[in-house]
Amino acid sequence: MSAPWYKFGLFGDNVSLVVAFVIGIGFGFFLERAGFGSAKKLTAQFYLTDMTVFKVMFTAIVTAMIGVFYLGWIGYLDLSLIYLTPTYIVPQFAGGLLLGVGFVVGGYCPGTSCVAAATGKLDGMAFLGGILAGLLLFGELFPLVSGFYTMTPLGRVTLPEFFDLSYGLVVFLVVLMAVGGFAGATQVEKWMAAKKGVR
Amino acid sequence: MKGLFTKLTVNRALGLATLVLGFLALFLGDPGKGARATIDPSELALMVQREVDHVSPEQLADWIIAGRSDYRLVDLRREAEFAEYHIPTAENIPLTGLDRSSLGRNETVLLYSEGGIHSAQAWFLLKARQHRSVYMLSGGLDGWKERVLFPRVTADSSAASLEKLKHVSAFFGGSLRTGSGEAAAGPTLIMPKPQISAPPVAPAGGTTTKKKKEGC
Amino acid sequence: MTTLTASPPADLRAATTTAARTAHPYMNPYLAGLGLGLVLLLSFVVMGRGLGASGAFTAVVATGVNAVAPEHAKANEFYAEYLGDGTTSPLMDWLVFEVLGVFAGGLISGALAGRVRIAVDRGPAITDRSRLILAFFGGGIMGIGAKIARGCTSGQALTGGAVLNLGSWITMLMVFAGAYALAYFVRRQWL
Repeated sequence: MSAPWYKFGLFGDNVSLVVAFVIGIGFGFFLERAGFGSAKKLTAQFYLTDMTVFKVMFTAIVTAMIGVFYLGWIGYLDLSLIYLTPTYIVPQFAGGLLLGVGFVVGGYCPGTSCVAAATGKLDGMAFLGGILAGLLLFGELFPLVSGFYTMTPLGRVTLPEFFDLSYGLVVFLVVLMAVGGFAGATQVEKWMAAKKGVR
Repeated sequence: MKGLFTKLTVNRALGLATLVLGFLALFLGDPGKGARATIDPSELALMVQREVDHVSPEQLADWIIAGRSDYRLVDLRREAEFAEYHIPTAENIPLTGLDRSSLGRNETVLLYSEGGIHSAQAWFLLKARQHRSVYMLSGGLDGWKERVLFPRVTADSSAASLEKLKHVSAFFGGSLRTGSGEAAAGPTLIMPKPQISAPPVAPAGGTTTKKKKEGC
Repeated sequence: MTTLTASPPADLRAATTTAARTAHPYMNPYLAGLGLGLVLLLSFVVMGRGLGASGAFTAVVATGVNAVAPEHAKANEFYAEYLGDGTTSPLMDWLVFEVLGVFAGGLISGALAGRVRIAVDRGPAITDRSRLILAFFGGGIMGIGAKIARGCTSGQALTGGAVLNLGSWITMLMVFAGAYALAYFVRRQWL
C-alpha cells in the first residue's frame, strides 16, 4: 500500500496545489477535446441526436473504475483512503434533478462551462456568473433549508456495500451496462440521423 | 471509409478490453479487504528487536499534555475495562474489533493494553495489514500507572525531575508515591475517573490534521 | 497525451464521424473518455480524491461574502465550512487550483484545434440575448443543485460514479432524468 500518495505523506499541501493545477489541465483538455466546450454538443444528448456526453462520461467512469479496482486488488491503492462524498438520499435525489434541469436550460455543467468560457463562449461565461449567483442565493437561504439539506444521511457508502454484492460483481455490471449503452447509443444516433434525413 | 474502419476497430478493441477486465473483476471479488496481507518477517523481527516501535509512558504523557493530535491512541482492552479507566484521549477498539476498525493505513497508531501481550498481537495484525506507523506503549497500562500516574520517588531524584513528575502525574489525576516498596504496593492507589483527567485539548481519535474539506 | 495534442485537426476529422459534418471535428468520444478516465485515475492515485468543479466556485463565493460581511459569513454554517479556521484563504484550495487548470487545459486544447473564438452557442430559433439569460439561469439552478447534491456532474457523477459511491449514482441518474424530462420544453433554445 503506497497510494494515494498524498495521504501517505509523499508531499505536502503546497505541492498538492501544483498537482491540482496539472490534473485540472488534463481534465479541461479532454473535456474540450470531447467537444464539451459547446452547449449545443452537450445538450444534443437530451435530444438523442448526439450521445457523446453519455459515451465520454461512461468511458471515463469505466476506465477509472477498472483502474481503481485493479490497483486496489494488487494492494497498491488503499481504497478506504479515497474520499467519498457522504450519501444523503433525498437531497441527492432532488439535487440531481435540479442539476439536470440546470444542464438542459443552461447548456453546461460547472466543469464544462469553464472550458466553454476559456474558449471564448459568452454563454459559458454567463453560465459561470449564474453559478456564482446560485451559490450566493443558496448560501443566504442555507439556514432555511439546512433541515432538508441533511435529511436521510447514510454516510460513506458504496453500491457494493449497500446492496451487499462483491465489488468485482458491481464493476462487471457497470461495464456491461456501459458497453451495452454505447452500442445502444450509437444505434439511437443512427435512427435520429435517418429521421432527420427523411424530414 | 478507411478512417471509419480504423475507428471501429479502435472502439471495438476498447470495448473488448473493457469487457474482459470487467469479467475478470467478477471473479476477483473485493479489492483491499486485507485478504492479500503480506508481511516481511525479517524486517518485523528487526523492528521488534530494536524497539523502535515503542513509545514510553513519559513520552505519551508529554504528547497528551502538549495536545498533539497527529496520532490515534487505541485502548485494546474490553469495553468495561475501558469505561472504568483509560488514558485520556484514548479510543476503545477491543482486539476482536480491530478487523472492522476505522484505522487508516496512513495514520499513526499507538496501541496499549493491560500489559504488553495484546498490543504486540495487535501490532502484528496491523503491520500485516500494511499499516505504516504502528507503535506500542511500552509496559502498557501497567507501565502508565507505574511511571506516570503514581511514579515512585527515589531518594536520588533531583528537585527539577521531581517537580516534573509531580506536575505530570497531577495532570492525569495521580500522585507521587514515596517511601518503600511494600507500602506503595498496597491497595491505596485510587484510579482517577476518566472524565476528570480529560485534557483540555485534542478530542479522542480523529485525524485532526486533515481539517481541509475534500468534497465539492 | 503528446501524440494527441500533436495531431493536426485534419487527422481528427478523418477519425471522427459524428463531428464530420461540422467545421470543428472533435476527438473520438471513447478516446476522450479514456483520457478523462486516466486523468481521474491519476487523481485518485496521487491525491486520494477525484475531480470537481462546483466546490471551487463555492470557495469563491464564500471568500466574497467574507470580504463584504465577515460577521455574516461566520454566522452562516454553509460559508463557515468553506472558510475553515481562518488561518488560510479558502482560495488556497485544491479544487480552486484544479479549476484554474481546467480553464488552462480547455484553452490549450481549444487553441490547438482552432476552436477559440468569441461566440454564443445556441440553436437558430433563439436570440443571443435570450440564450445568455437562459445560460445565467441554468447556471444558477445548477449552482443550487450542486450544493444540495453535494457535488456537480464532475464531483458526483464522474468521480463518485467511478468509485461506486451510492449517492453519486443516485445523483447521476437524476441528472439524466431531470434533463430528459425538461428537454422538450426548452427545445427552442437548441434545435
